[in-house]
Amino acid sequence: MASVARRETALRREDERELVEAARRGDRDAAETLLELHELVVFRTCRRLLPAGEDVEAAVQETLLRALKNLGRFTGEGSFSAWVVAIAVNLCRDRLRRKRLVPFLPLEVRDENGADPLAGVPSSDPSPERVAMARQAVQRLRSEVSLLPQRQREVFALRFFVGLDLEGIATALGVDVGTVKTHLHRAVKRVRVAVEEARP
Amino acid sequence: MSIPHLNDDELNLAVLGEDLPPEAAEHLAGCLVCVRRRDAFLTTVEMARGADPDETTRARVRERALAAWGATHRRHWVRWLAAAAAVVVLSLLPLLRGRAPAPQIINADAVMVEVDQMLDRDPLSAVAAEEIVDMVVPVSAESGERSVS
Repeated sequence: MASVARRETALRREDERELVEAARRGDRDAAETLLELHELVVFRTCRRLLPAGEDVEAAVQETLLRALKNLGRFTGEGSFSAWVVAIAVNLCRDRLRRKRLVPFLPLEVRDENGADPLAGVPSSDPSPERVAMARQAVQRLRSEVSLLPQRQREVFALRFFVGLDLEGIATALGVDVGTVKTHLHRAVKRVRVAVEEARP
Repeated sequence: MSIPHLNDDELNLAVLGEDLPPEAAEHLAGCLVCVRRRDAFLTTVEMARGADPDETTRARVRERALAAWGATHRRHWVRWLAAAAAVVVLSLLPLLRGRAPAPQIINADAVMVEVDQMLDRDPLSAVAAEEIVDMVVPVSAESGERSVS
């Protein structure tokens, strides 16, 4: 998550604008660099806003293609990341609406690559009880996030799973920062209580 | 004396990394219980986030998007080129029309003079072919008439 922020700041706005301009003129290398820099946030957004079983790769590909085709609409006022995430959020909403899917995060702790994220968590006491408790807390968190109202779920996912800051979330969702804060506080309050219940 | 731990709202602020009231911030700096509550939630969130896609997956999706974009980009230029060609052709049409050969003007008086001359020479053959004339007025009949007269 932190790497996204680092890459964002590492690439200055002017450089980003130049890349966008070059890609708009049809420069494939510039377009490829843009995608390399921002595809991760799109992956994270689609994976966390679409239900398990949905074709995340197809959604990411479609998002990236829409971004490239609509480069002319990027004004440069906000970050490019937030702009791309906005496209991803709209695409995910469309898919959910079209298929009338119920969004939820998979309860299974294993991620898409088959790796167990709990295996990499350093612990001073890796007892089976603690591991089971942590697994239960993760499941409860994902479950609780899936039950949040749509806007709260989006705000929570963009903040904690994608790694956008408040301004970025506001840009991506087309709302003001105050609204983002309100939804975020409500979401955190509800999810944190649920996780603490699962992880006494 | 009991230590007042962070309440729920303050803990939420801590989780979100927002500014705490000074007393709460001071408490958090020295309270292991509150720090562990905050960190436990953030660790759970981190685990729930899962691993990012590997480089192979990322590259595959990126390449597909670029290929699709390249195709549409080319189509875009072809459309512009076709439109430009159509504009050029339309703008040249009046010029091409101006160079077309002028229609031949028929002199009606000259035609009438020619027709009159032909009728004077041989009125029948002027209006019918020789075979038809022979059929309608056979050579023998012509000679018979002559003998009668």
